[in-house]
Amino acid sequence: MALYDNKYWLLSHIRNSFISTDDTGMCELVMAGEGKDIKFHLSNMELYPDPEDSDDEEDDFESYDLPLDMDFSTRERSSTKVQLEKLDQARKKVGRMRHIRWETRNKNAPDEECSNMFVKKEVKPKKEHTSKLSALMKNCLNVPRNPYIEYAKFDGSGQVNVPVKKYKMYITMLPQHQRNYPMHISCVANAKIQDLIGLILLKFSSTQEASGINLKSVSQYGLYITEEDGEVDRDFPCLDPKEPVSKFGFSTLGLVEHKDVAKTVNFPEDYQSVSILESNRTRTLSDKSKADENRQMENDIQAVEEHNKLMEAPLYKSFRAHMLSKVKPKVEVSIGVSGERIEIDPVPQKSSKLLPFKQKAVSHPIDTIAWCEITDVKHTRSCFRLVYSAMSSHNVQQGEVSALSSASSYPPTLHSSASFKHYDFESDNKTAQDIVQKIRLILELKSTASREKYMAAREKKTKKKNINFIK
Amino acid sequence: MTIENLDNDQIILATGGYDHTIKLWQTHSGICNRTVQHADSQVNDLEITPDRHLLAAASYQHIYMYDLTSNNPNAIVNYEGTSKNVTSVGFQQDGKWMYSGGEDCRARIWDLRSRNNQCPKIFEVQSAINCTCLHPNQVELFVGDQNGIIYRWDLRTDNNEQLIPENDAMILDIDISPDSNLMASVNNKGRCYIWSLETGLGDIATKLTPRHKFEAHKRHALKCKFSPDSRLLVTTSADQTARIWCSETFILLQELKQENQRWVWDAAFSGDGQYVFTASSDGYAKLWNVKTGAMERDYASHQKAVVALAFKDVP
Repeated sequence: MALYDNKYWLLSHIRNSFISTDDTGMCELVMAGEGKDIKFHLSNMELYPDPEDSDDEEDDFESYDLPLDMDFSTRERSSTKVQLEKLDQARKKVGRMRHIRWETRNKNAPDEECSNMFVKKEVKPKKEHTSKLSALMKNCLNVPRNPYIEYAKFDGSGQVNVPVKKYKMYITMLPQHQRNYPMHISCVANAKIQDLIGLILLKFSSTQEASGINLKSVSQYGLYITEEDGEVDRDFPCLDPKEPVSKFGFSTLGLVEHKDVAKTVNFPEDYQSVSILESNRTRTLSDKSKADENRQMENDIQAVEEHNKLMEAPLYKSFRAHMLSKVKPKVEVSIGVSGERIEIDPVPQKSSKLLPFKQKAVSHPIDTIAWCEITDVKHTRSCFRLVYSAMSSHNVQQGEVSALSSASSYPPTLHSSASFKHYDFESDNKTAQDIVQKIRLILELKSTASREKYMAAREKKTKKKNINFIK
Repeated sequence: MTIENLDNDQIILATGGYDHTIKLWQTHSGICNRTVQHADSQVNDLEITPDRHLLAAASYQHIYMYDLTSNNPNAIVNYEGTSKNVTSVGFQQDGKWMYSGGEDCRARIWDLRSRNNQCPKIFEVQSAINCTCLHPNQVELFVGDQNGIIYRWDLRTDNNEQLIPENDAMILDIDISPDSNLMASVNNKGRCYIWSLETGLGDIATKLTPRHKFEAHKRHALKCKFSPDSRLLVTTSADQTARIWCSETFILLQELKQENQRWVWDAAFSGDGQYVFTASSDGYAKLWNVKTGAMERDYASHQKAVVALAFKDVP
């Protein structure tokens, strides 16, 4: 241990230690404000003069590792940082406000300048005319008022001291190619969801894209939770229009026009609407699946002709059944069967929150469905099995709802029958028969690759069995 | 609003108030096409420069100028140095200078010709200034204060003349008809006073003769404005109405009223006097047809009271 009492030496030592260990640059900032006295001594050629002329013999005042660099107050910076700073300053300059302070009159200002400031003007009578505003108003007499104008007051853009919420909004009424980018909406936080919908419609209606779209009243639309990429999550009901926006935390939403008001609005609590669906009516598919449908139709014109022959088979129909599983309890589900897909949705139960698990809603394109058969018939109930190709359903689980455009684009890579998975259901006899018949009809119409493969695999199996049996 | 827009559509309607924003509107559709944040203070008064390039907002201790020709959301000029609220602001017709009045009891002339306010002028009165109005001859500024005094300030000579229409009443607004034949003033008792003006030749001051006095409103009358043809006078009030009067007979022609519109703070006529805008505490600016008295448009998006509007029509 050594003792030093030369304050300049100590100061230098502390500085060196700090600079060599401090990565934050903070010490530089602090030292920038150092006093003149210290600076003088630091730049002095005669290093560390003893303030009191002591007889300290030490020559080596430097800290041991670092040679004292007089230029240490500026650290080398990356060129990007310098560039960024320049840009920042330029921007500030552009945006800078000119400040003009009130000052009493400068005595040096030439009197003439000031005297010609106040020149008396002749007041001329004005001519009669129609102003542009009146002309505009006259032209706009028959132009209907924007029906959503009352929602303008919920606009949060430019508000000061008012809490606002910002959203990325996907307008699903737009054709697919115009839906790549969301609309940015800012809304005051005390608005309700229905006010937000009105505001979106107001903003949207004044854009170019809205020209081809027939907008309806606010109650005809719902806001759905949506992925960042614009994929609307239809597994959840739309946000309750009566609730304040501040209740929900989502920042990306999709505006969806209700096709079936009864279904979408009351989905979670009231399942009356199923009866509507069950009355064998076609369901208007969402825009997206419609697009897929179109694509598929083109690829499969034959199938369309077949559709016409066997009209009712590919039409959407919803059934109720219980899903069976070895490990989970029975779950009531609705099975929606159409020519495009089979959807299995859990039926929300009053006590569903208490269940230890939740059945996920799943959707299988019809191309992945391999087989459907009744496995067991009891007195009043029947069990039936739905076999599907696990390979393609994997895609479905990743959130890809789109049907396979053609079977050939996904050559079935079934090395063994293990690639097939199945669901077991139980329902009353009539429903089971109906479902199985309907799915079989559809499978026959479509003659999917999955089905062929499955049939082949099954045949092989039975052959093997037979051979074993013969042996 | 961009420069192109200005060329095509030079109608400018700006509104401001207690929600610390200034909004610019498309007048015929009712759509707000620009919002600027005016974060420091409420807006007390708004005025558009004669060249239509700038919007002045009178606020607490400052007058801010916003650029109407760009989308710059920040003020580009800040006139400071007043100690209290600036309550009114206006411009000389060629944009040479700006006048303002404030609660610091001073009316000021700001020289706009050079960048640094070379020839300022100041006029001090006994109490807070509520309103200022420039005579169309551009050399006499009328100032109304809380003591109920109207000052005629001659800008060339700095002489002044005082009028006290009523004791114990605040002067809340003054206006001079564009043909410079009449001056109107309203006070906090709802009364409106009218003077006949006689323009003096050369350096001789305008002569004022009391002409008429009437009960315009039951409560505070807040603003009075003549139509561009000088035939109509609109008054606004805390009694939740704006009223349009014939400026010859002072007969009530229209009452502009709507349920719950609360205080009506400001008003402006269209260039031909066929329409009138109002600003009210319900957060709306409204456009009324003068002939029918019907409201034809409303401008919604302010979160709080709208107390000031500035309008520039195209003749």
